[in-house]
Amino acid sequence: MNAGPYADAAGLVERSAAAYAAAVPVAPEDDGYFGPASVTWRVSADLSAPVAGLRALLMQALHPLAMAGVDQHSDWRTDPVGRLAATSAYEVTVTFGDRASARRVAERVRAIHEHVRGVDTVTGLPYEAGDPALLLWVHAALVDSALAASALLGTPLAEADADAYVNEMAVAAELLGTPREIIPDSTAALARYIEGVRPDLRLTPAAAESMGYLLDPPGLDEDIAELWQDIRDAAVAALPGWAVRLYGYAEPAPLTEQRRTEIRQALGVLDAVFLGEPGVLEARQRIAVRMRTAARS
Amino acid sequence: MKARNLAVLAGIGGASIAALALLRGRARPGRPRSGRLRLERGMAAVRLAARGGARYATSAPRLFASAGEHRQALRNDLALQTAEDVAATLGTMKGVLMKLGQMASYVDDGLSPAARRTLSRLQDSVPPMSPELAAQVIAEELGGPPERVFATWDPDPIAAASIGQVHRAITHDGRAVAVKVQYPGIAETIAADLGNVALLRRMLKITAPMQDVDALLAELRERVTEELDYRREAKNQEMFARYYAGHPTIHVPGIVPELSTRRVVTSELADGARFAELAGWSQAEKDLAAETIYRFVFRSLYEAHAFNGDPHPGNYLFHGGGRVTFLDFGLVKYFTEEELKPLVAMVRYLCVEGDPEAFRRAMEEAGFLMPGAPLPTDMIVDHMAVFYDTVRERGPRTMTGSYATAVTRRFFDFRSPLAAYVQIPRSYVILQRINLGLFALLGELSATADWRGIAEEIWPFVQGPPTTPMGQAEAGWRAARSGAGHPGRSV
Repeated sequence: MNAGPYADAAGLVERSAAAYAAAVPVAPEDDGYFGPASVTWRVSADLSAPVAGLRALLMQALHPLAMAGVDQHSDWRTDPVGRLAATSAYEVTVTFGDRASARRVAERVRAIHEHVRGVDTVTGLPYEAGDPALLLWVHAALVDSALAASALLGTPLAEADADAYVNEMAVAAELLGTPREIIPDSTAALARYIEGVRPDLRLTPAAAESMGYLLDPPGLDEDIAELWQDIRDAAVAALPGWAVRLYGYAEPAPLTEQRRTEIRQALGVLDAVFLGEPGVLEARQRIAVRMRTAARS
Repeated sequence: MKARNLAVLAGIGGASIAALALLRGRARPGRPRSGRLRLERGMAAVRLAARGGARYATSAPRLFASAGEHRQALRNDLALQTAEDVAATLGTMKGVLMKLGQMASYVDDGLSPAARRTLSRLQDSVPPMSPELAAQVIAEELGGPPERVFATWDPDPIAAASIGQVHRAITHDGRAVAVKVQYPGIAETIAADLGNVALLRRMLKITAPMQDVDALLAELRERVTEELDYRREAKNQEMFARYYAGHPTIHVPGIVPELSTRRVVTSELADGARFAELAGWSQAEKDLAAETIYRFVFRSLYEAHAFNGDPHPGNYLFHGGGRVTFLDFGLVKYFTEEELKPLVAMVRYLCVEGDPEAFRRAMEEAGFLMPGAPLPTDMIVDHMAVFYDTVRERGPRTMTGSYATAVTRRFFDFRSPLAAYVQIPRSYVILQRINLGLFALLGELSATADWRGIAEEIWPFVQGPPTTPMGQAEAGWRAARSGAGHPGRSV
């Protein structure tokens, strides 16, 4: 069990970039579970992705058992940056890797999940990370956040594409052991599912502490920290009202068009920083070439 | 006066450094802010190497290390196909950051290798336009598809420009031309991003005191806005081309005005060796090339009253025998007689008349030095002398990288006792590129010449006789064109 203070967030950009560059395959055996023509690839490349990621964490943390698993077992407190980088590398491999690579990393996560079990001190309930209900919540929060963030700040998806995205992403949950039949396959089903989980959600002290840390990570380089404020504001603005209330945040005013432009510009600067890290440009180009090729055929 | 003005002196340089610090996220809290420019030895060489002109071929091979044959395919695969692609690639501040970085690379010597890498990656991240998109811009600007507007059109770009690309073509009257085509929508995108004063301020405030940020922003916006309108560049280039017509070693490609618009500029096609290739040439050839560049800079300044503020090595083509083609006139500053007068006086009193008090008065008149500064004149002369080091005495002198570095160090020496009393008035800010661009370039060539002799030929208050064979040839050209006046002021 960890209960120590959080390590600082220095190196967030550098380590995330390194993880990203390494996870985008150079010579994949196949197009993986999504493929270059998928909506999922398009969503992953959206400028709003950092906002989506932060919003997903905010949503996921509201499930007491999911939060307890992270808080009691992972290296989240001692190496939060490493944890985030590893998570994003996992997502990148599942999204862009070939099927064998996706299965391999998923197997690894499932093996780790075997040992993640315990009792949540707040609710008194037992949990295990392999529980499909918890896996599904984590999955749904991610999918819902990608849609919300791109709608707010990126390139919004057409309704049919949004449905296709939810449907495509089901396989990612399946890879970690969620039975297909309980995974939402449309935006409507996703909304119904989230609505159904709401009674279980609450802000535990662990969640409050974790998310407080994430919204204002200590030790970030000063300039990145300033950009982070915009990303944080955007992530909170993209949350459903009930989630904002659970956190006890002041209800954010709807983003004005000008504010959205400003946030996009901040995301652009952050993206340029990311692009400057070794290997990132090449990785992006590998993806772009495959998407272009797919679009032509 | 004092510290506030030094930030203006640092001008865009200071601004860019801030942006670059941000780009890398390397600014540590608590790091002293006073040393706003970090100077590194040997930087000029690295910088010059890094600035060899972005060409697509340089970025493509990294993709798949073993797949050279795929390069062409890759270019096509990544090409920008729509104005939306342009916005996605260069919008959300990226185009602005690129421009900032470019300006920084001319203006100061303080880029860390990491910042330089980031900027070069950012440039590499911009693919060329697809042939269709480039054709669309031509059609919008020139009223027809390129195959009709030109007799022959090469759909593959030959070079990247910062916000566009260059194509080869042949006009209907048979002239081989270079056609620079601007990315569609880029002007609007960059203008919109320059409107985010809050974010720019955030990027700028790191190195500039707040009260200077607005001046810096104004300067930045002005420069970028100027560059976005190719008509201005065409006008500048036409002026230089007319002025140097018939010159024995200086060649400026002429503009084809009927094929030049806001987003397209068509000029005579030039070919020649790139700066990087010059490294393999004999020292005698390098010296001649350097002499031509030197003559070009100071003839333009003292006689045409115009200064091309874009001296980076990608903007020259070398032909041997000292013949040089000068490219890219996107950033030209014209000086009035009044603006130039005190500069001329400073050179004259320091280097020719040897009158330190008069030199000091000229500095005060120019606005470089606060009148009545409590400093002995010999201290001022000592401080300033380095800038005139190559022209104080006759005889051959070799430009070196360490001289260029010393000049730069002195320029940005905020700790000197003079710092509180000197400033660079805004209209002269661009001239620092003589120090930071020209001297670095000549130092890179280890060029040797009697710079004082050449300067005396050019100085309007001396107009000395030719001191080199090139000077002889130039004198013939001048005699032939006498009476032409100052084209700089006729534009």
